[in-house]
Amino acid sequence: MYHTGAFIKGQSLIYNLDPRIKLAATICLSIFILWVKPLLAFVVGIALFCAVFASGIHLRTIGQALKPLLFFIALIFLVHALFNEGEALIEIPFFGLSLSYSGLQQGFIVVWRFLCLLVAAILLTLTTAPSQMIAAIKYFLRPLKLLHVPVDDIAVMIMLALRLMPILLTEKERVEIAQKARGYNLRQSGLIMRIKAFLSLVSIVLSGVFRRADELALAMEGRNYRRGERTSLVELRLTSSDYFVLTFLGISSVIFIALNCCFG
Amino acid sequence: MILLENVYYKYEPEGIEALRGIYLQVREGEHLALIGPNGCGKTTLVRHLNALLLPASGKVTVGGLNTNDPKHQADIRSLVGMVFQNPDNQIVGMTVEEDVAFGPENLRLPTVEIKKRVAAALGRVGISELAYRNIENLSGGEKRLVAIAGVLAMRPRYIALDEPTAFLDPAASKRVLNIIDQLHSEGVGIIHITHNMAEAALTRRIVVMNEGRIYLDGNPREIFGKFGMLKQIGMQLPQVTELLIKLKESGFPVRTDIVNMEDAVEQISSLTRQIKD
Repeated sequence: MYHTGAFIKGQSLIYNLDPRIKLAATICLSIFILWVKPLLAFVVGIALFCAVFASGIHLRTIGQALKPLLFFIALIFLVHALFNEGEALIEIPFFGLSLSYSGLQQGFIVVWRFLCLLVAAILLTLTTAPSQMIAAIKYFLRPLKLLHVPVDDIAVMIMLALRLMPILLTEKERVEIAQKARGYNLRQSGLIMRIKAFLSLVSIVLSGVFRRADELALAMEGRNYRRGERTSLVELRLTSSDYFVLTFLGISSVIFIALNCCFG
Repeated sequence: MILLENVYYKYEPEGIEALRGIYLQVREGEHLALIGPNGCGKTTLVRHLNALLLPASGKVTVGGLNTNDPKHQADIRSLVGMVFQNPDNQIVGMTVEEDVAFGPENLRLPTVEIKKRVAAALGRVGISELAYRNIENLSGGEKRLVAIAGVLAMRPRYIALDEPTAFLDPAASKRVLNIIDQLHSEGVGIIHITHNMAEAALTRRIVVMNEGRIYLDGNPREIFGKFGMLKQIGMQLPQVTELLIKLKESGFPVRTDIVNMEDAVEQISSLTRQIKD
């Protein structure tokens, strides 16, 4: 079973980078994607796709991860294309809508930015093991320890949330199959019945997940989990390639900021 | 040694007692099967062994450490590992390696030692090649091995396994049983809850529970020799023992205190030789 954005073991420069660098680079890239002028956003996107090739991840894998979001991407494009004021290219007879050139352009830019954000996030999760990601988040949250924020507990909570997500989906599928096996056919039901069925599904799934969470908490206790500081399997150490990427990112950021100001 | 002395336990103050006056001693390196009908208190009992549950009255000590003393609970949990019935409810990490590392991380071991322990535990259960695999992509048998490896990485002296072969196919069950056998031969004490009588017959000692009490305690031959008492509480015998009892009831002179396949084959072979002669 493949899960959207789940880590896939591999070997490449991007895989071997320190998770802190990858996380910082993704955040930096995301800010640029959203902030810079359309032309520069296009350049950032191309740089991102070069990073995908350098990572050794198949484009098909990225496509698979994007598949569940295609509907939203199409919706975003249509909303921008149809609701943007401008010279109409095609008049749509219903609802007084029209497809304009500026709308299409706007839709394309927004979708491009959105796609770039998604690809950056997918690339990060595909090339970074969850434990590495949690170690990086823990590292960046470390200053909050001075304010008595339970950083180690937050890291465990993130780990459990990641673990419980597939369990939640499996539980939902299990209940749906059990309902179907007893002749429950939602397709032939009306809206009220569907809402009722959805609510009953949610309550069954949630009670199952709470039961599992209880058992998981007990198992964690059995494996000596206590609140507070823990050590980690992941050793965070910067190598020469991390310093190289960091320098490259720094220089490109300065160039992009300068170019963005010039274009403005 | 693990010692339970007059242990009583209730899940709810007004509820029925799940354990009623348990006295039990488990020696280091012992391989013990815990059997009994559903709801008889087997899981409740093993959860007392690593202080997941604390007795309402009575005392549980592990290597002389009282489970009721909060100061000792971390040490007790390092001494007694627990493998739950459903590995999905025990596995915390997203990948195999991360999950196996969870226990050593809680023990606050340095990274180098955690890596060593993870590699050793995965090697011991024979799944080193799965180290980076996502948990959701594993089979039921593999998840069970990950759960065992997660406990082994904490280097416990005893392991309590709650129905470790439940829902597994014969090949995966055999793999799990071989690992349990190997751990026992390395000196790890095993407390093995099972409903499979053939599995119980492989151990040196069987403890039968019924209604929160210890009903019988002895070696497999002694226990399965008391088949009348076992039937009374709805328990079955190993299939080979059942077969020999049926043969005896049909008038064949066979022993009925045999619990394993090899001895049964020998018994039936000698019977056929006698018939031929």
